[in-house]
Order: sequence, then C-alpha cells, then structure tokens
Amino acid sequence: MSEVERLLAEYKQAHRSGGDADPGPFLARTSGVEREQLAALIDSYLERAPRRGFDAAAFRESPAAAVADSAYRSLAGSAGLWPVLLPRLRNQARIRRADLVAELAARLGAQSKQEKVASYYHEMEQGRLPASGVSDTVLDALGKIVGYGKDALRNAGQMPAPGGPPPEAGAVYARTTRVPAEAEAPAAPAEPEDWDEVDRLFRAG
Amino acid sequence: MAGFEELPEHHLTALSDGQLIDYLRRAREAGRHDAMKPAIGVLVYGYWDSLVNRARLKLPPADAEDVAGEAAASAIASAFDGKSVGEFRSWLHTILSRRIADYLESRKRKPRTRQLPSEHEGEEEVWGDEPSVEFEGEALFARDCLRQAHAEIEDPRHRRVIDLYVRGPHSAAETADLVGDGMTEANVHQISSRFQKRFKELLEGGNTSE
Repeated sequence: MSEVERLLAEYKQAHRSGGDADPGPFLARTSGVEREQLAALIDSYLERAPRRGFDAAAFRESPAAAVADSAYRSLAGSAGLWPVLLPRLRNQARIRRADLVAELAARLGAQSKQEKVASYYHEMEQGRLPASGVSDTVLDALGKIVGYGKDALRNAGQMPAPGGPPPEAGAVYARTTRVPAEAEAPAAPAEPEDWDEVDRLFRAG
Repeated sequence: MAGFEELPEHHLTALSDGQLIDYLRRAREAGRHDAMKPAIGVLVYGYWDSLVNRARLKLPPADAEDVAGEAAASAIASAFDGKSVGEFRSWLHTILSRRIADYLESRKRKPRTRQLPSEHEGEEEVWGDEPSVEFEGEALFARDCLRQAHAEIEDPRHRRVIDLYVRGPHSAAETADLVGDGMTEANVHQISSRFQKRFKELLEGGNTSE
C-alpha cells in the first residue's frame, strides 16, 4: 500500500468516526505530487460521503447550527439569502460590522444617523427587512464596501421568494454564535410621508 | 393549510434528502416556519463536515466555514426557487464548488483587502492565510486527472471497486462483498493500487490528453 493509499484510508476512518476530520494534518504528511493526489482523493471521497446521522447535542455545539439558522432566516424571512450572504461578505472583506456601518452611513451621507443605518443593516442580515424596499443606492454603497455587485446583492435578496411573515427576533436555534444581540428594527414612522431620508433608502425601494 | 403534519425530530432523521426538502416546502407553504427548523438542522448537520472539509482543501481555514455555510444555505434555498435540483447531495457540492471558485476569483481581483482604521496592527493572523489561486489551478488539474484515470477503467466491476473503496466509504472486504462475482479483498487492493498508480502518472505527466 502506498503512502497516499494509507493516508486516504486513515482520513476516511477519521471522517467516519464523526470527528472534525480536517484534511490539513493528513496533507501535511505528504508533499509534491502525492499531496495533490491525496487532496483530490479526499475531495472525491467527501463529495460522495452520505449524510451524517443527526446528533442534536453535537449539532447545537457545531458551527452548523449558525448556518442552519441563516438558512432558516432565508426561508422564513423576507430578504432572501442576505442572512447567509451578508455576514459572509463582511467576513471575507475583513470588515468589522461597526466599520461597515460607519462606511455605509458615510457613503449614504447619513453620518449623523449612523445608529439608524446600523439597525437597518442588522435587519438586512437577520432577513427581517424586505429586500424589495432596500434601494439601489444602499445596495450600490454596500456592494462597494464588501466587493460585491449591486445586482448580485439584489438577486440574492430575492431568492427564494418570501415565505410569509418574517421570523421574529430571537426565533433562532439555541446556538447562534455569529449573530450578536442588537437592537430591533428601527421604529420608522408608520406613514411613509413621515419617513426621513434613511427610512426611504431602506424601505421605499 | 391542510395536508401538512409536523413530524418529530426522530422521524425527520429517517427521511431521505428529497423527503426532507419536500417536508420543508410543505411547512413553508403552510406558514409553519417553526416546523422547518429541525428539518433544516438535519440537512445542514448531515453534510456540514463534508462541505467544510472540502472547502478547507482549497481555502484558508478562516474562510472555509463561511463559504461552506453559504453553499449549504444557498442549496437549501434554491430548492424553493422553482429550480430542479436533482439529487440534493450532488447539488449541494455543485454549489460549494461554485462558491469556492467565486471566492478565489474575487481574491484574484482583490488580492488584499484594506485594513480599516479600527483594526489594530498585528491582528491579520486571525483571518488566516490568503488563499492561493495557484493551488486552485492545481486542484482542478488533479480533479481532471482523477476523472481521466476513472474513465480509463474498462471493466465496470473494477470501476465499481474504485467508487466503493477508493472514492467511497467502504473497506476492501465490504467492497469485495458488494461487488461479488468472485471479487476478493486482494483483488480490491490490486485494482485500487493500479488506479492510484495511473492517477499519479497522469498528475506527473502534466497532461491528461491521450
């Protein structure tokens, strides 16, 4: 048995045993062509691996709980894939939420209403702000900050079609490590004629 | 809405992927959002380790979970978008491959994101290493070589051995039993070794064309 075959067998054993099974340490034991070979074989194996049996306790402690929560907010909310996409783009761009909000407020000319912008952005990430109401101006500004196109953001917000009343604050899984507790949706005046510019940017489309 | 019956978690875990998606659709149509949560959990948890570890093969550790998470949620959401997703597992991994490619493409365009004033010097390491676009090229080439080595196997029984033993979760003994027809554990090892050798030759040759 070659070294690659042996490492692949070890990796599969680790994966089947239900552990984390990070391929990194296994790849670190090879180099050159054999490393490429092992990586491709592990990739091929993982692509075919059957669904793991559900373990409620392990799920609650796993990052999968936060992912499932995002998927739930996408399906139950009114902002499509924003609950999934926006935090990922923010992380990928290495921008803290507070910095993103500050820059977004500045780009929208709303520095004096940064708290309101923060609340609206929070609602976007939570899937509670109807995507159809968020203006192109906001999406354009946000896209420039996180390096994503305005139209792609718009499309993500429309998919899948809204599925009914948005989820209530706190209607999430037990462990949602990536969702900080923040303020609820800003209390915008009920009548659109009473909205300020920030309300219009985030609600009037 | 009539026709939707909420199932307890232990029933959900016994459902196939397709049945879970169907259950989610019916729950959503019935406005029973709470009933969707456990079914989403079963799907995401079930594939999480495969997705995140595939992502770790190509992306910096700090970003692998984000990309895998977005792929999982996107794949589930797509099932509600009127698209035919076919086998869910296959669809899920297709979405992951696209998200990984998108990530690497965005990194190629923007190799280093600026540091904002409130980010302190020396904290960059919390985000991990920058991804290697070159590595993605190598991974794609290796994938092509693997496909070619597989396609070159003429005997369907031998191909099944590779699918069950090398690319699948089975031991050599289980594979021999599953293939049957005189297949032995020693045969499985021989077929596997020939396949790995050919795969390595293709990788070293730098050209997958015949």
